[in-house]
Amino acid sequence: MNRIITLSIAAAVLSASSVFAQQAQAPAGGVRRLGGNIRAEGGSGPVPRTADGKPSLEGVWQGGLPVGDIAQGMRGEKIPYLPETQQIMAAALAKDDPQAQCLPVPPPRATPYPWRVVFTPTHGFFLYEMYDYRQIFMDGRKHPPLDELDPTWKGHSIGWWEGDTLVIDTVGYNGKIWLDNRGHVVSDKLHTVERYTRKDLGNMDIQITIDDPGRYARPFTVHGVARLMPRTDELLEYICAENNQDLPYLVGPRQ
Amino acid sequence: MKIMWGGALAAAAVLASGVPALAHHSFAAQYDATKPVEMKGVVTQVDWTNPHARFYIDVKDERGQVKSWNFELASPNVLVRNGWKRNTLKIGDPVAVTGYLGRLSPPQGPIMAIASSVTGSDGKPLFASTQQDLGR
Repeated sequence: MNRIITLSIAAAVLSASSVFAQQAQAPAGGVRRLGGNIRAEGGSGPVPRTADGKPSLEGVWQGGLPVGDIAQGMRGEKIPYLPETQQIMAAALAKDDPQAQCLPVPPPRATPYPWRVVFTPTHGFFLYEMYDYRQIFMDGRKHPPLDELDPTWKGHSIGWWEGDTLVIDTVGYNGKIWLDNRGHVVSDKLHTVERYTRKDLGNMDIQITIDDPGRYARPFTVHGVARLMPRTDELLEYICAENNQDLPYLVGPRQ
Repeated sequence: MKIMWGGALAAAAVLASGVPALAHHSFAAQYDATKPVEMKGVVTQVDWTNPHARFYIDVKDERGQVKSWNFELASPNVLVRNGWKRNTLKIGDPVAVTGYLGRLSPPQGPIMAIASSVTGSDGKPLFASTQQDLGR
């Protein structure tokens, strides 16, 4: 079945264009690359500010919190697992990974690829190349009572400024996300607090505090840094479910 | 067709390490790092798609028997930022490929594998997969 779908997609692509009649071009050079694939230079200079004096988080950013293993972003702490959490992780299969199924990967797992932040007077929007958006209510509202919130993959997020730091508080998660590629699981008791501080033109400090009494014995904080990408870079399209051939071929536990 | 089972294999075109980029799925769950493959073939199909671009090649063995392979590449956004265009590989192109064998393949379909390097007829190595895609 997958093969038929693949052939159909490929046939449509081939018949719709003359893309295969052109000549390949050499890789572009001259820009420092990170991870052998994504370019981001960071750069120094003052923090840009909006008309109201707040830091502007504008630009396309690369990186941030560690997507591979949140433990890599912890400073002197260890992940305070509850015993059952490690059992759940050990029993998880590779095909159980929401990401392998093209399901949402909100922070701290949201930024393997570039991302952008857009603010209006009342809302903030995080646009993640992989592969979703989030909306942050910046109009002063509070979270609804938890028993009135429908649990969702990305939860209910409210934001405010503390000095030059954007703070985002999220509750109402459905407990289905993994926090990283390693497979750190959460419960629907998850509560996160993110802090975004643009240190200069090209660098943004990011923290997320994970507070999940259903899976972890106490809150803990994961740190990361995002770099500004060149102004010529834009977000690209990543439609995860387009041709996801991998899922039937993922064998065994998450490794 | 030449397959190197467990042999030493240098993966060309894997650039410097740095900030991790993502494998959409676990490498180890889908591919076998102890079974590197190396072969030359002719491109029969290119999927310029997510979560991975793919190319399919026909490979002729010593007896003239042709087998089809389905090679996973990084995603198009990563490939584009490494100099690819959607027409970098074209049907009919001869290519030299290294990579790793999939743990499973469809019974009737092409053999599944991930590419760690691809070299076109001009002899220039193309970026293929990130370090993380290759489980490194």
